[in-house]
Amino acid sequence: MPSEALLSVRDLRISFGEVEAVRGLTFDVRPHEVFALVGESGAGKSLTARALLGMAPRDATVGGSVRLRDNVDLAAERGRRITLVPQDALSALSPVHPVGDQLAAAVRSVRRLSRREAQARAVAALDRVGIPDAARRARAYPHEYSGGMRQRAVIAMATVNEPDVVVADEPTTALDEERREQVLRVLAEQREAVGAALVLVTHDLDVVRDHADRVLVMYAGRAAELGPVRQVLGRPRAPYTAGLLASLPQDGPRRRLPVLGGTPPAPDALGPGCAFAPRCPLATDPCHDREPALQAVDGRLVACHHAADVPDPLRKFV
Amino acid sequence: MRPTAAGVTRAVALAAALAAVGLLPWLSGRDPALTVLRARSVEQEPTEEALSAIRRDLGLEAGPLSLLGDWATGLLRGDLGTSWVSGTDILPSVASGLQVSLGLMAAALLVAVLLAVALVTPVLVRGKGSAGAFAAMAAAVPEFLLATVALLVCGVWLGWLPTSGWQGPEYMVLPALALGVPAGGLLGRLVADALPAVLDERWVELWHGAGVSRTRVAFAALRRVLPPLVPQFGMVAVGLTGGAVAVETVFAVPGIGRTALGAAKSQDLPLLQGAVLALLALGLITGALAALVRRRLLGPALRDAGLSLPPARPARAHPAIPAAFGALLLAAIGWGLLRDPYAVDTTARLAPPSWANPMGTDGLGRDVLARLGHGAASTVGTAAAVCLLSLVVALALGFVPGIAAGAADIANALPPVIVGILVAAAAGPGTRGAALAVALISWPPLAAHAAALVQEVRASAFLTAQRAIGAPPLWILTRHVLPSVAAPVARHALLRLPGIALALASLGFLGLGAQPPAPEWGLLLDESRAYVERAPWAALAPAAALALLAGLAVSGAAYAQGRGDRRTSGRTVRKETARAV
Amino acid sequence: MSHPLLDVRDLVVRYGPVTAVDHLSFSVDAGETLALNGPSGCGKSSTALAVLQLRRPDAGEVRFEGRELTYLTERELRPLRPRMQPVFQDPYGSLSPRQRIRDAVAEPLKVHGRWNPANGPARVTELLDRVGLDPSCGDRRPHELSGGQCQRAGIARALASDPRLLVLDEPVSALDASVRAGVLNLLADLQDELGLGYLFICHDRAVVRHFADRVIEMREGRPVPT
Repeated sequence: MPSEALLSVRDLRISFGEVEAVRGLTFDVRPHEVFALVGESGAGKSLTARALLGMAPRDATVGGSVRLRDNVDLAAERGRRITLVPQDALSALSPVHPVGDQLAAAVRSVRRLSRREAQARAVAALDRVGIPDAARRARAYPHEYSGGMRQRAVIAMATVNEPDVVVADEPTTALDEERREQVLRVLAEQREAVGAALVLVTHDLDVVRDHADRVLVMYAGRAAELGPVRQVLGRPRAPYTAGLLASLPQDGPRRRLPVLGGTPPAPDALGPGCAFAPRCPLATDPCHDREPALQAVDGRLVACHHAADVPDPLRKFV
Repeated sequence: MRPTAAGVTRAVALAAALAAVGLLPWLSGRDPALTVLRARSVEQEPTEEALSAIRRDLGLEAGPLSLLGDWATGLLRGDLGTSWVSGTDILPSVASGLQVSLGLMAAALLVAVLLAVALVTPVLVRGKGSAGAFAAMAAAVPEFLLATVALLVCGVWLGWLPTSGWQGPEYMVLPALALGVPAGGLLGRLVADALPAVLDERWVELWHGAGVSRTRVAFAALRRVLPPLVPQFGMVAVGLTGGAVAVETVFAVPGIGRTALGAAKSQDLPLLQGAVLALLALGLITGALAALVRRRLLGPALRDAGLSLPPARPARAHPAIPAAFGALLLAAIGWGLLRDPYAVDTTARLAPPSWANPMGTDGLGRDVLARLGHGAASTVGTAAAVCLLSLVVALALGFVPGIAAGAADIANALPPVIVGILVAAAAGPGTRGAALAVALISWPPLAAHAAALVQEVRASAFLTAQRAIGAPPLWILTRHVLPSVAAPVARHALLRLPGIALALASLGFLGLGAQPPAPEWGLLLDESRAYVERAPWAALAPAAALALLAGLAVSGAAYAQGRGDRRTSGRTVRKETARAV
Repeated sequence: MSHPLLDVRDLVVRYGPVTAVDHLSFSVDAGETLALNGPSGCGKSSTALAVLQLRRPDAGEVRFEGRELTYLTERELRPLRPRMQPVFQDPYGSLSPRQRIRDAVAEPLKVHGRWNPANGPARVTELLDRVGLDPSCGDRRPHELSGGQCQRAGIARALASDPRLLVLDEPVSALDASVRAGVLNLLADLQDELGLGYLFICHDRAVVRHFADRVIEMREGRPVPT
């Protein structure tokens, strides 16, 4: 695997007034890989995804840096080298524009092409995601598409300019299993077809396990754990990752699921210590006083004072 | 297409409005024979024979049905009858009035569109925010007030433009401005309020994320906003027909609105019938045109897409603004209430403001401040009664959504001034008639709101849960549906209070409401017009009071919506928070 | 007992020309969890509403505790309704935004005239405690609670009716993983303790396999072999 970073994020901070929602994230996305950003609601993963595209909310202050390889000006590259598949793909197309026109608008905003050439590229992209009779379908409106076709069209729009990185924000939330697999399959195919890396934002650990190469587990705006999926989910070293994994329903006879007690902290009510400490069964005094830094443990990075003591969740978690 | 409840109501309401016009001579219940006799020949003695000859001539003895029949058959032949007063054919005077009014409205529409574009552009460029206080204020100021102020400032003080008549293009400027600015404010506000929510839709994110340029997204957003708003644009155009009555009267423009008002005042019912019919037709044609434009804009592929706009998130107003407006109004009213509004002092006519008369005196030497204070009691008091009545009717009919929607459509197509003219013609001008006219058109929007809420509550999961625990319908109605509906609709009714007061004042201004010497605000403004060059303060005081009322309406609504927004925000963000414990 | 708690035969639900549920049969015993699993639009939720008689089925039988429900009038159903209670997907939408949690939980008692000012409040507190809610939550309104807390409050309201059957329509689909586990544990405990029958509707296969005793896979209103 080439180790040179395609997209580097350094000490990314996003705050709203006094309240910091993302608190210093550092990670790289490598060419052609699937990089998962995982966390529960409020962990800051969607904000992070937006910041990668230079699309943070207007009232947010963004600190740190996000760079594409051999380019500094990220905003100019949005749509050309980095694109977004937004949440809720069923309603992500404009209802009043023909689907082909929407893709063509993306093409023409990035390249100097004639209307006809842009339209041809749009049709080709629709054809590539498996829209039957794409030339005719390009003239239809989203409401004339089935749900599955709309999702494909959204992915086609995000890949029509053959970007280097596709950021997909919760592409499978609220979908049933069949749809979920379908969307992930199309995303994977397109990623391969245009040779892009995929940043997959999700709260679903099963999706991460089945589809990602590396994962960043976020908690309260920080990285809890960062590394290859096999290591992180196979043998977590952060108590939060371990707790999340343990609480997943398992096959076999019904048993009580281990539950993470308590609730994620509000971003404006964080103490000086580890944000997870109030819910952590391993927490000791230092955890409440000092926020742990990321350290290399067992082939991944972990932010925990007790990384060595975390038990295997798949056997028993406290 | 199967007839819907709303469609049936619409047809019934339209038929009722037409019948009311046709039956005016009978509905008015007063003997017009004497009026007609006096108008036709001054010398003739009002003997019983002469009067009954006239009654026979007018067809008043045959009863309402034959009257309606005669009128309808005449209408089909293109015969609108003859004027009771002048004895001439009505069709030509209606046609010439209509011609003038259409010219005026076209000019006003141009003003409105230009203003709307000016209001919307900054929102599109910035991508967020709304058109703000100016648009809201422009939309809330009634035409009669704007016309009077324009007349006073541009015409009388500065002498820039002619203020009376219709002899050339320069005569069109002030009336078109007075008519077009409120309409433009409303148009601009509709679009500008809808835009931020549209720019927050998912597709904008997708487009941005795919690299589509800001300009392209802005135009696409405009394309997305317009079709669902077209019916409301139609309503704005219909509103112009109502505004035309006031504006034409102020600037002495010989249009159809002024013709209608004059006919109502002189009891020339056939002419009134013709003029009102023309105004109604104008409104209906505008509505139909709006529907047509909407279909064209949508195209065949989108017609069944069920396009609707995301709910607009109104800008929050600081509570200090409506509070300041309210306090200022209350102070003036309170002070005025302590003084005598009827005391005539002929030695102090048209006196400028002084300690004895803080706002000066009017043409009869009456204290303007006193009349303003007492006028508030009648204007705002009547408005409160109208409001309460509308609320009760709306709550009762909100449970029959079809009726509410259909009636709202018709009420939206009828400007209050035209209803006021009809009621005044039927019942004679007076406070009660004006209140009735305003009440007739102020309940439907409330009923539509109530109906929407009832529907929303009935569809909610918590109501299903109520049925599931076995709660009887009466329990669900009284403990869940009514409380969920009544409070927001009551708030809505309260917000409409200043608007209703302005509608009452505009009827008063046109002489269709309270009668002299009652100190009603619209009437005060109207009376002051006669000597506005010599005593502008007599006009400025009621104008300022009405403007304050409009400001209160706007800022109060913005504040209340902002609060409502905050209250429900707990529910709108539930997708994000549901997954956190 | 000779008959199952819930026995559904040849259930049909139509919306206009669309047949949402097409001759579906199943039964649920006391203390048992039957899951209906399938993609969105397969008729799971229509089945739930039809079982609860909140949407009358177009054909078929719904027998609850041996009694046929489809012939009963709304008035006759009312006294039976407390014995089968729903829990919905949207934790916020299933509670009235205007009601405090305490009042929402007390409502089933009041509707059926079982409210006693002397011990009613204590009963509500007991129910809140039973679903793992702090008594202080009782004085709040839904929007002041988290999704998981609202879902627990919805379960407490269902329990207030002393039901035998809970119809759980995607009860954990809107919840985060760590919260989901807590609610699933609660439902399991309640079943063990009270012997409730569960009709459990869920599109997540992992949750179904973990939670249910038996599963019916549905497609287009019909069961399909697994």
